Amino acid sequence: MRRVVVTGIGSVNAFGAGVPCFVEGLRSARCAIGEMTLFPADGYRTSRAAMAPEVDVTGFVPPAARRKLSRTDRMGLVAAREAWSAARLDDARPDPSRVGVAIGGTTGGMFETEEWYRRRVGGEVSRLPASRLLAMPVHATADAVATLLGYRGYRLTIATACSSSLGSIALAADAIEEGRADLMVAGGAEGHCRMTFAGFNALQAVDPEVCRPFDRRRAGLSLGEGAAILILESEAHARARDAEILARIGGYGMSADAWHMTAPDPQGAGAALAMRRALDAAGLAPDDVEYVNAHGTGTPQNDPIETRAIRNVFGLHASRLAVSSTKSQVGHCLGAAGAIETAATILGMLGGFLPPTVNLEEPDPECDLDYVARAARSRRIGVAITNSYGFGGNNASLVLRAADA
Amino acid sequence: MQRDEIKAALKHLLVEGLRLDELTPEDIDDRAPIFVEGLGLDSVDALELVVLVEERFNIQIPDEEVGKRVFSSIDALTEYVAGELDHRSP
Repeated sequence: MRRVVVTGIGSVNAFGAGVPCFVEGLRSARCAIGEMTLFPADGYRTSRAAMAPEVDVTGFVPPAARRKLSRTDRMGLVAAREAWSAARLDDARPDPSRVGVAIGGTTGGMFETEEWYRRRVGGEVSRLPASRLLAMPVHATADAVATLLGYRGYRLTIATACSSSLGSIALAADAIEEGRADLMVAGGAEGHCRMTFAGFNALQAVDPEVCRPFDRRRAGLSLGEGAAILILESEAHARARDAEILARIGGYGMSADAWHMTAPDPQGAGAALAMRRALDAAGLAPDDVEYVNAHGTGTPQNDPIETRAIRNVFGLHASRLAVSSTKSQVGHCLGAAGAIETAATILGMLGGFLPPTVNLEEPDPECDLDYVARAARSRRIGVAITNSYGFGGNNASLVLRAADA
Repeated sequence: MQRDEIKAALKHLLVEGLRLDELTPEDIDDRAPIFVEGLGLDSVDALELVVLVEERFNIQIPDEEVGKRVFSSIDALTEYVAGELDHRSP
């Protein structure tokens, strides 16, 4: 069986476009959650949101194709380009039919579809510009990345709500392991849209202020947007082309709560099962893990349940674990969250630091782990696990290992 | 409306309507194919261009056969629009 490694990372989120912005944001423990600026947010429970910058694809996407892209697509494309270059593949010219794409998301080009509908209903346009609706489906981003960057191999779109992009990375790793592709461009992309914003507000799942994962006063999540793309390949393939190995994929686990449309199973059994399966797949014991990049949404339900699940899986070792929520910094990026948090974990491994949980000032007695509160911490880690849980009880956990671990 | 006015309006419509930001109307060759080669536009762009032309000149492009013929070049499109406008004139 082929061992799977990560050789490139691309990133767009509220810290900016590019991996250096993300590293700086994680290290400096800033909170990038601001105000929703894409559409009016008056009258909602909150107007808070983490906004990614508008990214420019002018240099590599022809004008006629540009018009048909959604913001989600543009973020995915920019992250994919960055990851590809970082993996030093620009001049390598691999066989395009052996390059696959696996991208997760939840709403694709919903924002552009909403804009079209608003203009149509408002009488601004009387007929349908077809191209604006082609970017709507959630698979449009993977299609755009493959078509515009010329990847002709294996293609996947994973839509399991907020675990979508962790699932994409997991299944992309399978594709490498099984020899279905030599290189996988894998991750997630998600732009804000009214439907999601209104939906999470209506569910009262958002904090009126910035989210505070694991804090006693937490009142919900903060929505974010962005993309993270990884380049995956087999270790042998990476070594043969003398690529730098950034991290290794240990293994993954998935499970379903089979409990509720939005709420997690109160016992956290599904979350625990996904973590156990990921450890088994990686051939590791709970004690081998040093850091957990938590799902850590900041909702009243998630944080104590996830804490309980971690205690169940790790036993006494749980108290020695560092656990943090990157969502406290860049918001909950939904379909892109799993990939963004995988990137955060790897960037922490590479930089010798643990990403922090910001805005955590008064720990909830039910959340009694070491959450790396308020500041990143210098520490070199070899083994980490990242969790993503989605509506509908979609659980995924991924074990990551440092290149030398 | 004179033919050169129609031609200028069509080129403007292409660039603005299909947001071909890096082109100016002067860059568009009157005789070159509009789709595939030439400007690199595809079948989705064709659907939009039909709508743009119909709305701008208040004419109809009735079917695909006519569409294929009239969208073969800016010259062909200009002739079609001019013909339709002539029919309508008293």
